[in-house]
Amino acid sequence: MSFKFSKIRTLETGYNSGPWNMALDEVLMNSVNYYSMPILRIYGWQPPAVSIGYFQSMDEEVDTKRCRQMGIDVVRRITGGGAVLHESELTYSFITNVYPKNIMESYNLICDIVIMCVNKLGFNAKFAPLNDIIVDGKKVSGNAQTRKKDTLLHHGTILLNVNVEKMFSVLKVPSEKVKDKMINDVKGRVMGLNKPFEQLAYNLKESFTEKFGAEIIVDSLTIEEEENTKKLAKEKYTSDQWNRKK
Amino acid sequence: MKTAHNIHKSKKLIKVSLEYDEHSNTINSITITGDFFLYPEEGLDKLEASLIGTKLGKDTIKQKIEKSLNDSEAFGFDSESMTDAILGCFKGEKD
Repeated sequence: MSFKFSKIRTLETGYNSGPWNMALDEVLMNSVNYYSMPILRIYGWQPPAVSIGYFQSMDEEVDTKRCRQMGIDVVRRITGGGAVLHESELTYSFITNVYPKNIMESYNLICDIVIMCVNKLGFNAKFAPLNDIIVDGKKVSGNAQTRKKDTLLHHGTILLNVNVEKMFSVLKVPSEKVKDKMINDVKGRVMGLNKPFEQLAYNLKESFTEKFGAEIIVDSLTIEEEENTKKLAKEKYTSDQWNRKK
Repeated sequence: MKTAHNIHKSKKLIKVSLEYDEHSNTINSITITGDFFLYPEEGLDKLEASLIGTKLGKDTIKQKIEKSLNDSEAFGFDSESMTDAILGCFKGEKD
């Protein structure tokens, strides 16, 4: 089945905190129903943040005390997958209520657009199911999805630079003895594209246009979306009740 | 009442913490965490709840998992690896 959209509402929401970023993705899952088009959101993280997957435990995965000392936010996602240090990356969300019902197909559809975006820079990126995109065998993008009330949220990251030592200084490891081995292992499996954010953002919008035959409609958040995001960030995504649910 | 923990590497990582009754050999409470995917996500709460009171045996646990995940789609684990993750808490003490 081929998916085409005539227009995509596009939001470039800049650099924001972890709770705010995750709150906005959830808010947009509700507001997509008020528009007759899907939403593409492009964003970054300031301050840096560690996000954990929906099924992970904050206490098991993250040294939250160290994060506080280093000025790093912590937040739990509404999507599965692993813990991520968001710092030097481009993050995107695609929210739609028209999508393949088969989960693998929906990952494939959207990851294919990210691959087009990365390959415009001269790389030879490939899909590594279920949720990764690799270049020369190394992960350059991780992706995750959730589906609520017939709406799909797909969010993911394109890594610009990777600081594995910093990542392991805030993520918990089974023991200090294996830490160096894990760092070397991740260095061999993950890489940043070392390209400017703006260039990737441009390529990503172009790739969405090409894939779906859609016109990019540059938009900004409504006052209601901004207010709902602030409220949700404060009441849910900064709360222990949510972040420490597991 | 005793507690047990295990970290199991399947396609993704599964971490299990459970409390069990050593006399009746049944699960009293269980928490499963990990970097896997499950659709819908609420399926994990349902799975954990269904395992309470279950005998600590491979067949009984696997059957409960299969039944509980009937309406869900998991990526990164299956009923076999989830059973291994749970029974791995005992590292050979239980069958």
